Amino acid sequence: MTEMNTKTGEQPTYLRRMHRREFVKLLSALGLGLVAEQLLEDTFMAHDAPIAQASTGDTKGPYWGMVIDLETCIGCHRCVYACQATNDTASEHLWNILIEDQATFAKPVFVTRPCMHCEHAPCVDVCPVRATYHREDGLVAMDYDRCIGCRYCMVACPYGVRVFNWQENVEPNPQPEAWGSPEVPRRPRGVVEKCTFCSHRLDAAAERGLRPGYDRAATPACCVICPVQARQFGDLRDPNSPASLALKGRQAIVLRANLGTKPRVFYLLPR
Amino acid sequence: MVERILKTRGIFWMWCALLLIPIGIGLYSALQVFTKGLVVTNLSDLAPWGLWIVVDLSCIALSAGAFSLSALAHLFGRDNFKPIARVAVFVGLLGYTGAMMCLLLDIGRPERFWHGWVFWQTHSMLWEVTMCITLYFSVLLLEVFPMIVELPLFNRFKWLQNLGHRIHRFAPILAIMGMGLSLLHQSSLGGTYGVVAGRASLYRATMPLLFIVSAVAAGMAFTVQMTLIVQWLKRRVLVPRDVLFQVGQVAGAILFVYLYMRFWDSTAGAYGYVPGRSESDLLLTTGTFGLTFWGWEIILGGIVAGTFLIMARRRNSIGMLLMGSGLTMAGIIANRWNTTMLAFTQPLSTEPVLTNPASVRYLPSLVEWGTALGIVAGLTLAFSLGMRFLPAYKGHTPTPVASSGD
Repeated sequence: MTEMNTKTGEQPTYLRRMHRREFVKLLSALGLGLVAEQLLEDTFMAHDAPIAQASTGDTKGPYWGMVIDLETCIGCHRCVYACQATNDTASEHLWNILIEDQATFAKPVFVTRPCMHCEHAPCVDVCPVRATYHREDGLVAMDYDRCIGCRYCMVACPYGVRVFNWQENVEPNPQPEAWGSPEVPRRPRGVVEKCTFCSHRLDAAAERGLRPGYDRAATPACCVICPVQARQFGDLRDPNSPASLALKGRQAIVLRANLGTKPRVFYLLPR
Repeated sequence: MVERILKTRGIFWMWCALLLIPIGIGLYSALQVFTKGLVVTNLSDLAPWGLWIVVDLSCIALSAGAFSLSALAHLFGRDNFKPIARVAVFVGLLGYTGAMMCLLLDIGRPERFWHGWVFWQTHSMLWEVTMCITLYFSVLLLEVFPMIVELPLFNRFKWLQNLGHRIHRFAPILAIMGMGLSLLHQSSLGGTYGVVAGRASLYRATMPLLFIVSAVAAGMAFTVQMTLIVQWLKRRVLVPRDVLFQVGQVAGAILFVYLYMRFWDSTAGAYGYVPGRSESDLLLTTGTFGLTFWGWEIILGGIVAGTFLIMARRRNSIGMLLMGSGLTMAGIIANRWNTTMLAFTQPLSTEPVLTNPASVRYLPSLVEWGTALGIVAGLTLAFSLGMRFLPAYKGHTPTPVASSGD
């Protein structure tokens, strides 16, 4: 490991200039590496969006939104139950969280919190493998086959709506049939999941000619079950959709607006 | 036969055998994690990162001596730093091995560890870190490879040894690559936290700078510490005494630069109100983190450690150097712990409603401690074996006359 051969007084070999041949070899090795990477990439994700996908979920088509009325919500938990039944989540895993807030307004209100499906979603930006991404309609979705379970998205989500499968879910669904039956397959152990806005219903609606927000089979389960119509869903670009109508004449807020995430879930303030 | 080995090399092999106990505990704990899933940890949806991330961040920070000392030795003309750079490279290789073992435990689908290389997400700090760390790990492997093939074991494979010599010719190029990759990922590990806008205690532009400056100080000091311990145990000299003092002084100076930055970063929130940030600064400096922040990280692991590192040369005191570098190591671990834990202890408020949710508690479970213990013990064993058998770390017997300095 001596740097200088003291007997012969030769210079260390690395000080010798690189031959052109060696340089060309090095370059071609680099090039081959890049080609191999590209091939791998093509093999695994020919169907995928371009690499430098921007994090914006802004779209041309319908702008799906949910409007939750803090005035009318009675805190009955039915949206929580229906969500758990429909999406088949484990007992302690709620995609839709209900918390009573007694401090903010003159009267106590119930705040339910699904995924906000942000237009600038921090989770989409931070995922190292693009397992969470914006669908073409702008909703934030998960690819459970790609997720490595690093949970950086959970660190980054400002709303704490993401849940991790800490173990295999083998228990029967804790909700009775009355609240609904599973419509999506269970997720495996070790991946992150979250509210999908019942995108499986939205996708089926397009095929069956149903209108999300109007037809029960094409609307998120939490909105369908609400006994007091405190949750409305629909295309916010359509002024006559249930969601747009609910916003009319009311003061609406989004959570943590200062972060600029542009959530798709709006809350109507109590009157 | 066995008796004779024990008689001549007894203490070393007993030490190795002793290390097998924590390694066994670690393997058993890791088996629990891989078979039952992360449910055996105390992590939760509200505190998704914990002890493993702290160990991972600490390992990488303590390995920063590899790139900084290699750069000084091979690129900035400090030829007398070459012996300590050699030690640093080995420490670095082991540190990154430990970090990657932590990550493998931490991710929920370890069999998909390769996804980052195939499914690029160039927006993600963690993707950048993944690429850099794996690339830098291969640089470290190339740097250590020539030393490994010098073992008598490889005398039969001349072509391997020739390959080693050829690779060693590229030491300066490897040093450049190592420096570039390290400057990127040592900072972007801080950036991984720094970009998280949703968590006030993390969201600060200073994070990448704080991470790299502290890592360079701690990495250098840790290399000095390891060298001192090895020299004392082997009773041989690997690195000249004055080089150790010099590196200690450089590390101490960088540590003080870091402390200055950290001081303002942590207390600026008290001068005016920034939502979330001011609360987290208060929690760090006066709340539950008061002791680990002021006592462990700033005073002992910072001011005292830096003073010892700098004063040791003038006092010509190896003891002081050892204390200083040891405290620096403790300080960097405290810093990574405080940074990680503070982020999840501060409740995630979703203003304008639910501004005051209950705070989260997280303490690592026994399984988490077990795996961490196993990883540290495994690295210690590998380090012991390397220092004992690799010809590059043979050293020479100390001479009573002080060798000429720089």
